[in-house]
Amino acid sequence: MIVEAGHFALVLAFVLAVVQFAVPLIGTRTGDDRLMAVAAPVTIAGFALTALSFAALTMAYVQSDFSVVNVWENSHSLKPMLYKVTGVWGNHEGSMLLWVLILTFFGALVAWFGSNLPASLRANVLSVQGLVGAAFLLFVLATSNPFARIETPPFEGRDLNPILQDIGLAIHPPLLYLGYVGFSVCFSFAVAALIEGRIDAAWARWVRPWTLAAWVFLTGGIAMGSYWAYYELGWGGWWFWDPVENASFLPWLSGTALLHSAIVMEKRSALKIWTLLLAILTFSLSLLGTFLVRSGVLTSVHAFATDPTRGLFILFILMLFIGGSLSLFALRASSLTQGGLFQPISREGALVLNNLFLTTATATVLIGTLYPLLVEAVTGDKISVGAPFFNMTFVPLALPLLIAVPFGPLLAWKRGDLYAVTQRLYAALGGALLTVLIALFFVDGMGVLAAFGVGVATWLVLGALTDLALKAGIGSVTTAVAWRRFRGLPRSVFGTALAHLGLGLTTLGIVAVTSLDVEEIAVMKPGDTLAVANYTLRFEEMTPFQGPNFTSDKARFTYINAWGRELGEVISSKRLYTARQMPTTEAGIVTRGLSQLYVSIGDPTADGGIVVRAWWKPLVLLIWLGGLVMMIGGTVSLLDRRLRVGAPAARKAKPKVLTPAETPAQ
Amino acid sequence: MFFWIIVACLTLIACLAVLLPVLRVRDSVADDSAFDLEVYQDQLAELDRDVARGVIAGTEAEQARAEIGRRILKLKAEGSTLAAKAGFGAGRIVLSVAILAVPLASWGIYAATGSPHLPSQPLHERMADNPQANPINELVARAEAHLAENPQDGRGWDVLAPIYYRNGRFVEAATAYRNAIRLLGASATREAGLGEAVAAVGGGLISEEAQAALQRALALEPDNPKARFLLALGLAQEGRTEEAQAAWLAMANDLPQDSPWRGAVAQMLGSKAEVQATPGPSQDDVDAAELMSDNERAEMIGNMVAGLDQRLRENPQDPEGWQRLIHAYTVLQRNEDARDALVRGLAALGSDSAEGAELKTFAAARGVSAAD
Repeated sequence: MIVEAGHFALVLAFVLAVVQFAVPLIGTRTGDDRLMAVAAPVTIAGFALTALSFAALTMAYVQSDFSVVNVWENSHSLKPMLYKVTGVWGNHEGSMLLWVLILTFFGALVAWFGSNLPASLRANVLSVQGLVGAAFLLFVLATSNPFARIETPPFEGRDLNPILQDIGLAIHPPLLYLGYVGFSVCFSFAVAALIEGRIDAAWARWVRPWTLAAWVFLTGGIAMGSYWAYYELGWGGWWFWDPVENASFLPWLSGTALLHSAIVMEKRSALKIWTLLLAILTFSLSLLGTFLVRSGVLTSVHAFATDPTRGLFILFILMLFIGGSLSLFALRASSLTQGGLFQPISREGALVLNNLFLTTATATVLIGTLYPLLVEAVTGDKISVGAPFFNMTFVPLALPLLIAVPFGPLLAWKRGDLYAVTQRLYAALGGALLTVLIALFFVDGMGVLAAFGVGVATWLVLGALTDLALKAGIGSVTTAVAWRRFRGLPRSVFGTALAHLGLGLTTLGIVAVTSLDVEEIAVMKPGDTLAVANYTLRFEEMTPFQGPNFTSDKARFTYINAWGRELGEVISSKRLYTARQMPTTEAGIVTRGLSQLYVSIGDPTADGGIVVRAWWKPLVLLIWLGGLVMMIGGTVSLLDRRLRVGAPAARKAKPKVLTPAETPAQ
Repeated sequence: MFFWIIVACLTLIACLAVLLPVLRVRDSVADDSAFDLEVYQDQLAELDRDVARGVIAGTEAEQARAEIGRRILKLKAEGSTLAAKAGFGAGRIVLSVAILAVPLASWGIYAATGSPHLPSQPLHERMADNPQANPINELVARAEAHLAENPQDGRGWDVLAPIYYRNGRFVEAATAYRNAIRLLGASATREAGLGEAVAAVGGGLISEEAQAALQRALALEPDNPKARFLLALGLAQEGRTEEAQAAWLAMANDLPQDSPWRGAVAQMLGSKAEVQATPGPSQDDVDAAELMSDNERAEMIGNMVAGLDQRLRENPQDPEGWQRLIHAYTVLQRNEDARDALVRGLAALGSDSAEGAELKTFAAARGVSAAD
């Protein structure tokens, strides 16, 4: 009954989404206030119904209600409770329901906090958001209904794909979807501006926080996904330029560009049309990612089930929104007011440079991702565009951008002085060069390029710190004054510095792992030792282990440092999930500082040994810690008071009360 | 009943969400330029804060202030852009349509896609059910307990194996079949069951091991339908479509009319085009998995009907059960069995009782009568 109530709530949410699209739009076209006012409550009701529906499905999973096909196919009564819950979105139907839930959630946020938006803009934004929601709700109901039932349910489910039975499933998809779908708000704002034919000042203020929020989540989702793949797949890699990874990286790149161009628009009322286009493109890339992953065009752990109908349906949605919004853009963009002009050497100029590089990089990754698909579609040949392509195209584009990053925040608006800024960055430059020299002299077997990479990373980190130091006036005023000024800096300044610092940390981790990691492979029997970088691994024993829904063989290793001291144990195991008869590898990972020792066991050999692969991964944690720092930076920036604008009082004088927009969660 | 109350409440809330903002008496709203002005004033305030903190020099601040000032002037020059309110007539129609559409469309779509008659069935509740009402559970539990004490009881394994299979416990089913064969000797049914279970473990792929078992079954009983069907499926999976089709055609020709395998075979022959159009192993695997589940479903229905039949023999005072059984047999086109069920049902309920009369009418509507 709860299940069916969930199903009905989902149907109702779909119908409300259609109302949310049509009624406010007619309202703004005819100038009817009452029709426009329908948007907000309907949006919130739609979110509540979708949430109810999601809760009903979760309930079915928690209670192992195998009369629901989706639960039967993806759950098992013996599965630990955490995976029963996360299993809700560990499959196609459930993950699309989560997608829709987050979409309606963002719509509800706009409805909730949107009182400082002009009524017609708010109605239009919610209307577009309603159309996106209606399309995806229809997709869920028509092709991927998670509430399909079985008359006589079996007593046991088929279990969740073992690779997904991990804490990563609890974090990665929700974060990633919050990112993907968060950009839908920017998209709705862009399309609403195109429908209205004008860009309000409030428009510029609103797009940036939404972009920032989506960007923070997407950054977290990608970093989490990367770390998950790293420890779960047992290959020791953290990024594979796999099309599915690229699908999430593309909106991140264009979203980052959008984040920066939105600053220019907000501060200088320039780049309006470009920002609008970027907002459309970013969400289009999110949709493209959803299409690539969900349609089964790409086979991977993400493509839970392949079904041509679903692919066609998403392709249709894709064409509707990308085609529709771009046509609208082509029709209307010329009628929007152009922003002001500006000097190339200025903060604006630096942000435009950033945009140029980021969009070019986006295009490069897009080509690398889609080219194999196009070739296969046209000629039937299967080709793969792998890491070499991206290393040769993406890296050269990223490097100059990274070098330019520290200049940006130090340049003044309108007219900047590049020479003066360079002077102020002398310390950072010196530090970076020093690191390059140290790297070259003291570390053996490291290429010039790697040393250069370390230098760039140091430059980014020191550049971000210099920015903060200069803005606080450290060195030019007394310590007390500098401290006071430091504390008084707007949060957005800290946000910028933290995000750029995080970028530097990630770069450092990437360079270190790419150029310095050590890999050893050996066949080992109990008692054998294997030297990995400065450590020695001793294989102790294999022991069988019985988990709740799997059996496993655990290989126990002792790791010993260069001076012969035993430091501890590493356990790497192979699991067999009984319901699906599917083996997985659980890598053994030891963290030493920011570096990790990574041990993965393979198949047993005929003579009683097992294949052991071991890696020493220097500074590998920085890759994800950098992502975390970027997220913190984004969040700090989001909390800046500048992003909170009050709503004008209605013309009929009312006692001033606190509007929701003035009290968002802090 | 409770479900329909929930449905009604949800619908009501949805309708109110459309209706309420319209009914509410509204203050006149601020016009659009007021919102822009608010933003610009906020920018000026921010500028003041920056100046106070000393992060912006005097001249830069003056320039910026002038720029914001120009924007405000421009805004004032454009004047108020408050949209004129349209007559409420058109809006009223739109709203009425929207409010009507909410219940109509949602009930329509749900009626077409939902299963309102199916209750939720949490596993722990089903487990806690009276075992009498759930003979399979009881049987499995009893047999498992028995076999734990007497693992050499071949008959126990033999009984348990197909039950395991039906409940989706394929690994256990395969083990049980192996034990039964080891202890009782091979039989066509056991070998075919083993082949089927092994294939199910592999996600429906007729592996070499499964093929070997099915071949042994055929050696013991050349027209064992399960073995024939699955071996043909194996051929299809290897891309030997024509041989597979030939095997299924042969089955279609010589299977007895009432064989439960007829449906599955007809389906395979019907999906000929599909099978041919998809070369390559991976797609085949996918197809095979889908086909297996059809096959499983066909068998599952057969087993369920047999279970119902058995239960009614033990507990015949169940008019609804007899109706379900007769309906099931007519759907499966097992008319002899349907008639037999009617005769037994009438004997149990009394052919002159009201229930007996109802059963007779029910059966007659499906073309079954006890007379001939």
